[in-house]
Amino acid sequence: MASLITCPHCGTRPKEEFAIRGDAEPRRPSAGDRDEAWLGYVYTRDNRKGRIHEYWHHAGGCRRWLVVERDNLTHAVYGVTDAAQFPKAEAAE
Amino acid sequence: MTSYRLDAGGAVNRAQALEFSFDGRSYKGLQGDTLASALLANDQVLMGRSFKYHRPRGPVTAGSAEPNALMTIGSGARAEPNARATTVELYQGLVAASQNRWPSLNHDFGAVNSLLSPFLGAGFYYKTFMWPAAFWEKVYEPLIRRAAGLGKLVLQADPDRYEKSWAHCDLLVVGAGPAGLMAALVAGRAGMRVILADEGFQAGGSLLCESASVGGQPAAAFAGTVLDELAGLPNVTLMARTTVFGWYDDMVFGSVERVQKHLASPSPDLPVERLWRIVAKRAILASGAEERPLVFGGNDRPGVMTATAARTYLNRYGVAVGGKVAVFTNGGAGYRTAADLAVRGVEVTAIIDARGQSSDVGPAGVRVIRNAGVISTRGKRRIDGLVLERSGFEEAIDCDALAMSGGWSPIVHLMCQRGAKPVWSDEAQAFLAPDVGSGFVAAGSSAGLTSLSACLRDGADKAATIAAELGFSAVPAVPVEVEGEYDASFAPVWYVPGAKDKAFVDFQNDVAVQELGIAQREGFRHIEHTKRYTTAGMATDQGKLGGVNTAGIVAAMRGVTPAEIGTTTFRPFYTPVSFGALAGAAQGSHAAPVRTSPLHGWAKKNGASFVESGLWYRSAWFGRDGEKGWRDSVDREVRTVRAHAGLCDVSTLGKIEIFGTGAAEFLNRIYCNAFLRLPIGKARYGLMLREDGIVFDDGTTSRLGDNHYVMTTTTAYAAEVMTHLEFCAQTFWPELDVRFVSVSDQWAQMSLAGPKARIIMSRVVQDDLSDAAFPFLSARSVTLRGWLKARLFRISFSGELAYELAVPAGLGEAVADAIMDAGREEGICAYGVEALNVLRIEKGFVTHSELDGRTTADDVGLGRMMAMQKPDFIGKRLSTRFGLTAADRLQLVGLKPVEPDKQIQAGAHLLKEHAQPSLANDQGFVSSACFSPTLDSFVALAMLKSGRERMGERINVWDALRRVEVPVDVCSPVFVDPDNIKLHA
Amino acid sequence: MTLHFLHRHVLEDHLAGFETRPNPNHVTVYRRPLILSVLAHAGQEAAVFAHLAGMPGMDVRVCGPGEWMIVSAAGSRRAEEVAEELGALGGASVIDQSDGKVLLSIGGPSVRKILAKCLAVDLHPDVFAEGQSANMLCCHVAANLARTGLEMFEITVPRSLAGSVFEELMEMGREFALTASFSGG
Repeated sequence: MASLITCPHCGTRPKEEFAIRGDAEPRRPSAGDRDEAWLGYVYTRDNRKGRIHEYWHHAGGCRRWLVVERDNLTHAVYGVTDAAQFPKAEAAE
Repeated sequence: MTSYRLDAGGAVNRAQALEFSFDGRSYKGLQGDTLASALLANDQVLMGRSFKYHRPRGPVTAGSAEPNALMTIGSGARAEPNARATTVELYQGLVAASQNRWPSLNHDFGAVNSLLSPFLGAGFYYKTFMWPAAFWEKVYEPLIRRAAGLGKLVLQADPDRYEKSWAHCDLLVVGAGPAGLMAALVAGRAGMRVILADEGFQAGGSLLCESASVGGQPAAAFAGTVLDELAGLPNVTLMARTTVFGWYDDMVFGSVERVQKHLASPSPDLPVERLWRIVAKRAILASGAEERPLVFGGNDRPGVMTATAARTYLNRYGVAVGGKVAVFTNGGAGYRTAADLAVRGVEVTAIIDARGQSSDVGPAGVRVIRNAGVISTRGKRRIDGLVLERSGFEEAIDCDALAMSGGWSPIVHLMCQRGAKPVWSDEAQAFLAPDVGSGFVAAGSSAGLTSLSACLRDGADKAATIAAELGFSAVPAVPVEVEGEYDASFAPVWYVPGAKDKAFVDFQNDVAVQELGIAQREGFRHIEHTKRYTTAGMATDQGKLGGVNTAGIVAAMRGVTPAEIGTTTFRPFYTPVSFGALAGAAQGSHAAPVRTSPLHGWAKKNGASFVESGLWYRSAWFGRDGEKGWRDSVDREVRTVRAHAGLCDVSTLGKIEIFGTGAAEFLNRIYCNAFLRLPIGKARYGLMLREDGIVFDDGTTSRLGDNHYVMTTTTAYAAEVMTHLEFCAQTFWPELDVRFVSVSDQWAQMSLAGPKARIIMSRVVQDDLSDAAFPFLSARSVTLRGWLKARLFRISFSGELAYELAVPAGLGEAVADAIMDAGREEGICAYGVEALNVLRIEKGFVTHSELDGRTTADDVGLGRMMAMQKPDFIGKRLSTRFGLTAADRLQLVGLKPVEPDKQIQAGAHLLKEHAQPSLANDQGFVSSACFSPTLDSFVALAMLKSGRERMGERINVWDALRRVEVPVDVCSPVFVDPDNIKLHA
Repeated sequence: MTLHFLHRHVLEDHLAGFETRPNPNHVTVYRRPLILSVLAHAGQEAAVFAHLAGMPGMDVRVCGPGEWMIVSAAGSRRAEEVAEELGALGGASVIDQSDGKVLLSIGGPSVRKILAKCLAVDLHPDVFAEGQSANMLCCHVAANLARTGLEMFEITVPRSLAGSVFEELMEMGREFALTASFSGG
């Protein structure tokens, strides 16, 4: 029926305004990184259950990429940050 | 006469008689009746036939849990099957028909199934119809489907409108009974935004059938007083006829409002049903409690119903369900029904109490038989007597209705829809609502409370707590005095031993006690397995009435408590919801948004046929008089472009405006080819890869200023490319100064192609368009004759001398008209995407037919574009993997049939000349194919294993779908102008 | 030779045949509004916004962080001139979208009930106040909504989807006798 995400820029919106890209943890390796790093980044995902960071694109709103921290079992949402802020926010933790 | 309308009483309007029909017979009811109460008032107790055995059935309830009185309401395209007569609001002219009977409700041939019942028990589907296997589809299934079933769907289009709407509130109260009304009142007075939803057509819940008085007024009048006050509060929304059917993530509640279901001819300006998505900060469940039937022999005979149902028909609708009513109870509710009946002058023949002792006292003159149980009932189409057993002795009692009360089950459905299971309470002998946090709490009888005063108080208290938590100051509720309430406590009786007839647990699906036993003996012991093996709880009522009895009986059979058995899973929807409501307005022309190009009108008046491309409607070809089919038009358009000129709408291409000091670097990282040194005023073809090295999309990007670019994408990938750019800019390189915005809708863009293109364009554009002044790949702002600023690009997707002109969308049609005028004497024509496709196949240009998510740049012959000297770009690293550079990859080639008139179809596979068709012999496939008017031959582009080394080889195109084999010669994919002489003209 | 090009509004055919006398619930479609996208570069957001907010005759619509539309329903200024003014600021990139967007206003006593069927955002004035604006899905299409009065809103939608959005809006307004017309006509 619906679920809601609170965009830090636009406010609370239905999921129809967003597109989900998946796990936000993997970092793009540098061009010179080893094959294993690139294999892991492009192809391998842990598909964890529970509290995870996910990329959500607010396609129907501000068009910013967001990182939603949520439980993919219960859909409890713990926080939403702008993706550009995400690595910083993580470092602060 | 057995059941009848009393002379006075009830919340029906006796001045307003309503005529309706049931199975072709006319009846009269009253405004305020349900269909069931009106039928009972007319002494029509038989209302349906059961699912499996076709047993005669009457209503068991007076509400939404009804399993038996299912009818088809309305006629023609509006006929709706499986409506519960107990909730259908009566209206003038209502047409109702019974279901699952043939030839009539009174004489149902299917009732012979009862004789077969030994074979139709638990698991009968799995056991009986196994052999021979071939019989299942052709014989057994059609037979079972005809014999067992509910109402029939109408195979006509639904003539009615539906809508969906959002609503937002601080507090949603589900149910407008005693607890719900008080909760809404307290919250409303505190100033909260409140939505009070109730499934009934009259709010008030149990207050409407309550004989006690509240606050010095009759209960129903008290409900009216509260409702009046709520209606006057601007912050309170009352939603009648609205069922909250589901609790979803993030406190979104799904509800359906029956806006016009109670009208014979609905207004076309209103929906018949409206689906609500209610976003609530908090919610209170005040959905009440369901009275449990007792499980005894013959408990499904018409005229046997719950005590609350009998009491509701009496007090709310002024209908006596019988002239001689017997009561069978295990608690105070049966006594209260007996008392109310007696007060209204209805004869109560006996109160049969399953308990040995209690403090309950029957009305004066009514015989109370304690420690007794009903073991069978008599009567053909309705009950005319029962047999009870007491201390080993049987006794027959006359009655024409039997009110039964088996205790109470709080309605906790909504709170259990998100995974939490209800919790068994030994004290309440019921499953209670689980703790799902402070967001959603139960109040009143849905929280397990049993007295009216406690329910009223609980609703007020729970609302006051929520108000305080949300920062509202709640005015303490005035205590409401209740006079004449009763003790509804009970002692559980799961089933009554000694049954002489079938004792049903699930009425609608005809599941009797012994079938639960079979399931246990045969190993289907988990309650979810028991449910599926016996079908108990699988009907349209989803176990509302029988679910808890099922758990109790299985527990008793296994010698454990119901807590160990638990319940089956609760899921939305609480009651059935129509597909129409779920679809809302999204049907017909509103099914999906339509995108039209700024040149749509121009295309239309030039005779275009349109093709859907995503949401877009694109002009496919422009038919003319005398042309027999699309091929004629396309062939003519292609020939005209090659010989003269053609104008094509390319407005649907994605257009992205890119700004910033980091824009050049950004583009350089996004595209696989070099972009850093693109001069101002120039366009460049660009190829984007995915991170795995496969081609993602192509298009041209033009530099309009130092830090200003405009990118075009393919029509299909416009949104994906924009999203990709945003992802890269925002997450990979937020430090780059680059900003972009889609301008796809700002520009009408048209491609003028053909040897006469320059002459024609020069008549419209005042700038110098000579090859020296405006060579291939120029991209500049120009001025159209007179005044209009436009963007002109010298790019070509046909291989001809071509320009793409972009003008503000609102002027597109006028400019296209002007170009057509300017080109008339040069023989210009409009051409569509079909001709565009032929032109690009002839020239060997690729589209997403070739860039299909599996091909690399090298596969399609664009390997030299890869600027590997760049430090990084998306897809660089993995593009050099062995698998993507192997020599035997499929590579782009052209194909020409040996006989030019032999058609090749896209999707066909390639085989060596004499090879047998097999996966091992597969050499590739045809990606694009067409008839080439320029070569007067069918031609194709194909992906062929090591294709570039195989020019001149003869191979076979094998089309298994159409059973066609075509010998072809492998050739260069560029069929026309391989030296680009026309392009650079 | 001078060519004359007639500007055509995308809703021309949709509005043909409508009664011009507006009901209390009414949609006004602006014929030639001025609409520009403004993109602030990093660090310049506050300065750019301050300038936009001070531009006479132009309404500022929030699209996202550092991105706005500036709108003049009357279309009294020329896009090039506004773009030049903002370009001189240095911190912003500006692009004309006047033909890429359709601007309409919807107002009346039932406007919130109508819009509740078109979009999911809570439009209670305490939550979405006058002067507020945001991008959101409206009738399944990415649009911008602005509150211009207690019972008055403006919607900006992409031109290619404006026909669909308009038809959907009118369908949802049917129970409230919603009417529509071009501005000044």
